Amino acid sequence: MIQQIVKRDGRVVPFELDKITEAIYKAAQALGGQDRSMAEKLATDVVAYLEQKGNEIPSVEQIQDAVEHTLIENGHARTAKEFILYRSTRTRVREMNTKLMKIYEDLTFREAHENDVKRENANIDGDTAMGTMLKYGSEGAKQFDEMFILKPEHSKAHREGDIHIHDLDFYTLTTTCCQIDLTRLFEDGFSTGHGFLREPNSIQSYSALACIAIQANQNDQHGGQSVPAFDFDMARGVAKSYRTLYRANMIKALDLEGVENAEKLVRDAAEKIEAENGGLWPAMDAQNGYTELEFALLAPAAGEEAVKKAQAFARRYADREIDRHTYQAMEALVHNLNTMHSRAGAQIPFSSLNYGTDTSPEGRLVIRNLLLATEAGLGNGETAIFPIHIFKVKEGVNFNPGDPNYDLFKLACKVSAERLFPNFSFIDAPFNLKYYKPGHPETEATYMGCRTRVVGNVYDPSREIVNGRGNLSFTSINLPRLAIKANHNIDFFFEQLDQQLNLVIDQLNHRFKIQCGKKVKNFPFLMGQGIWIDSEHLGPEDTIGEVLKHGTLTAGFIGLAECLTALIGKHHGESQAAQNLGLEIIGCMRKRMDDESAKTGLNYTLIATPAEGLSGRFVRLDRQRYGSIPGVTDREYYTNSFHIPVWFPISAYEKLRLEAPYHALTNAGHISYIELDGDPVKNLDAFESVVRFMKEVGIGYGSINHPLDRDPVCGYTGIIDDVCPRCGRHEGEAIELEKLQKLGLYRHLNAQTLGCCGNPEEEADRVVNPVE
Amino acid sequence: MTMKNNMVMVGEGVGFERIRRITGYLVGTLDRFNNAKRAEVADRVKHGLSDQMERL
Repeated sequence: MIQQIVKRDGRVVPFELDKITEAIYKAAQALGGQDRSMAEKLATDVVAYLEQKGNEIPSVEQIQDAVEHTLIENGHARTAKEFILYRSTRTRVREMNTKLMKIYEDLTFREAHENDVKRENANIDGDTAMGTMLKYGSEGAKQFDEMFILKPEHSKAHREGDIHIHDLDFYTLTTTCCQIDLTRLFEDGFSTGHGFLREPNSIQSYSALACIAIQANQNDQHGGQSVPAFDFDMARGVAKSYRTLYRANMIKALDLEGVENAEKLVRDAAEKIEAENGGLWPAMDAQNGYTELEFALLAPAAGEEAVKKAQAFARRYADREIDRHTYQAMEALVHNLNTMHSRAGAQIPFSSLNYGTDTSPEGRLVIRNLLLATEAGLGNGETAIFPIHIFKVKEGVNFNPGDPNYDLFKLACKVSAERLFPNFSFIDAPFNLKYYKPGHPETEATYMGCRTRVVGNVYDPSREIVNGRGNLSFTSINLPRLAIKANHNIDFFFEQLDQQLNLVIDQLNHRFKIQCGKKVKNFPFLMGQGIWIDSEHLGPEDTIGEVLKHGTLTAGFIGLAECLTALIGKHHGESQAAQNLGLEIIGCMRKRMDDESAKTGLNYTLIATPAEGLSGRFVRLDRQRYGSIPGVTDREYYTNSFHIPVWFPISAYEKLRLEAPYHALTNAGHISYIELDGDPVKNLDAFESVVRFMKEVGIGYGSINHPLDRDPVCGYTGIIDDVCPRCGRHEGEAIELEKLQKLGLYRHLNAQTLGCCGNPEEEADRVVNPVE
Repeated sequence: MTMKNNMVMVGEGVGFERIRRITGYLVGTLDRFNNAKRAEVADRVKHGLSDQMERL
């Protein structure tokens, strides 16, 4: 006679027959049943079964097993199934609650250096209140989405590590990223929700508003914000500033010459010239005709001599001041984008700036000064982490000696050698070149800093442009796992891959449906201010499905190298056969996405997943399941996308040559990087030759890594092994202040600022330096 | 700042900042990287430039 049971927490409590009756009755009710007496009878059968098995104090699990058995034995299969489902859901909810609370506990009590979850995203300072609050929200949302929003098969695949749904926490909320057309935004001004910002009229305002736009848009999306043609966008601000500076200097000069009503004269002349000559302004290009027209209008009243002298003065000072103003605007921009923690979780917005192809004097001034400001670094000479800079390389524009912006390409290489930015993108890569129309910057393929690329447009082939478009969501496939499961059977691998792609496309569609149901009012800036393409035609209560179709739905992957090793024993860095197979695999994935695009008219694309948090997750799960497989699961991470493993000795050229064909296949984004030894500043020719080689082999987006260390005490930036080359300090060692002062540092006796960079006296003396 | 033998000392406990690229972008210093990425950075080898470009 059963009188007691053991609860899950170990407590022994009195047995209650009613509880079993209730459980059975509820399961029957779910199917429309109403027979309580049947439930009671079945309950007694359950007890009889347990007693017959000799179980004197059964556990809850054992009782539930008995219930299932009894229901089935008595022909109540459907009720049994209902009961089983209920039981499994209860189990998962219990596990979820426990898991979520454990995560919250770790977030609350453990510091970032001990807690990998806090360091999942290196841009979030997991030790701050806002950083932790974001993680609370993010982890809670992920659990909720996994339990109640995702389709069970997608949830299972994600949980078990077959796929990874990126940014799961934002599943029901928004889309990934956007490429922002600042020129369009600034025209006639804009609003961020509180108050209107007039169209900016100086390069300083252009720069400030660019930061505001990036930050405002960042608050509507979880991914990066890029400006595809930053030089073109800012050039207009330079032009406006130049006009103001020229006019102001003209007025002062004429005034000094004793001309009466100088201000009225100059302004009236300017108005007349502008009206009668299609908006002609004084500009950096001194040959645009303004000078002659102005002379003709002013000379009668002011005298030829005075006007001639004043114009020379105005030109000279405007030229000098515009450079200075532009530099300061770019310096302020770099500081702002590197320090304003305006993104959820006390993060800096994830900003990227693309530039390099504007050959106008104004555009060139922007590029030059942005590079110089980047070179100078932040207040204590630190390397700026944001924005990410991408220099757009284009033959005929900036790549070869004789090209109008070649000097800027060389400067970009120099700055990159010092500061790790800019990265380099290549418009001449065939898959980028096909969209390019000279004179149309919106057709220049650009990249987000992370590598996302959105330019082709199956939904609207008449608008294969970058402006106002971005990625909607992406989900990555665990290639190494598929390879391990295939057990060297290549055909089986491809079958499984095909099925996985189907699953991923289904999941992308599921998320897309949810995104399409959102309204303009859910995105006050991105949609409300018309940043996203065509959103300016929508009202606040309109759903955004139609305009979202310009975005990309993307599948990704990680660990091609480990996948190949699992399949045929070698990765593509060490075997041509592996390289061939690798291209076949990625080619197959790309074809599937292309086919889906052709079928649906939407933009399905393939990305070489950036993989920060993901790089460890998949390998951890696979090692748990399959053990430590040499060359596959025996490290703490899977190799990024199609990269040759970081630990494999290979020359820079060989690595780039092998990886380039994958750029062509991954139309949603890709990057290759190489690690340079030593200080590239000491060998700029070598640095440049690597960039040139990237272009020659068809790389779309590339960067060069080299060690970049900094001693905060003396401010030295460069390569530091064990001892700082400037002050001789070891890590953690204290040094005599006197020693530093002898090096020219700490002149102001202020331990907070070093005085070796950012010296206000020095800055004031800066003159225009020609770039040779 | 601290004092030692009547000399003002600075920099006690201050380490070097090691800035590395993570997946295309920079993130400040290694102590912010998650464990997997840290392991990867530790494994990174340098790529030589001695191969001729004529291999093209």
